[in-house]
Amino acid sequence: MNPKVERIIYLGIIGVLAILLVSFGKKEVELQKEIPITVDQLYAKLQNPSVKVGKNFQIIDVREYESEDEDDEIGGYVDQHIPGAIPLPDCDESKAPPEAVEHINPYLPTVIVSRDGNPEIFKKCAKKFTLVQNLKGGMEAWLEEHDEIVEEDEYEPPKAGGGGGCL
Amino acid sequence: MSMMERIIYWIAIIVLIAGIVGLKVQISHLEQQAQTVQTQSSEE
Repeated sequence: MNPKVERIIYLGIIGVLAILLVSFGKKEVELQKEIPITVDQLYAKLQNPSVKVGKNFQIIDVREYESEDEDDEIGGYVDQHIPGAIPLPDCDESKAPPEAVEHINPYLPTVIVSRDGNPEIFKKCAKKFTLVQNLKGGMEAWLEEHDEIVEEDEYEPPKAGGGGGCL
Repeated sequence: MSMMERIIYWIAIIVLIAGIVGLKVQISHLEQQAQTVQTQSSEE
């Protein structure tokens, strides 16, 4: 066979396979958005030493930043949040502290934490991130299972060289 | 076309096929999970 034709055939096969691979990859990303991450899965992820919050993984907290209701057990971000979480109330950058907005990376694998894991808020927020999952049950579920693993202060950007909120 | 070039093309083809098969397995696993999640949410 003519070497030029043979080369074209091989490259054609590789091209078709590459297109298939990319389309399957996109489908996988879309499917992952539909499956919420459970509290235990997130906990296991945070315990994994290779997962560094803020570097190769991020948690976005879409609850209000400061709760006005003092009797509210869940409260807002300042009252209690998952270590390393970045506040982004209602998924609106204008409501978030400016230093928090700077640290949001839309291309990192992301978990969205709302008050109760509301799928509507998640859908609104998911458009802003490439790889994103909803925390099933939201902050309510996290506090039921791991209420000892929370931070209770204003957002502090990760220090340079630090790994963020690793447990 | 040299034998070396042919081998490289075949390696690329095999790697891509392995990737596609891996993704396909992952997708069917995720589809099952998504179906379970939908069933659970409709029951709630």
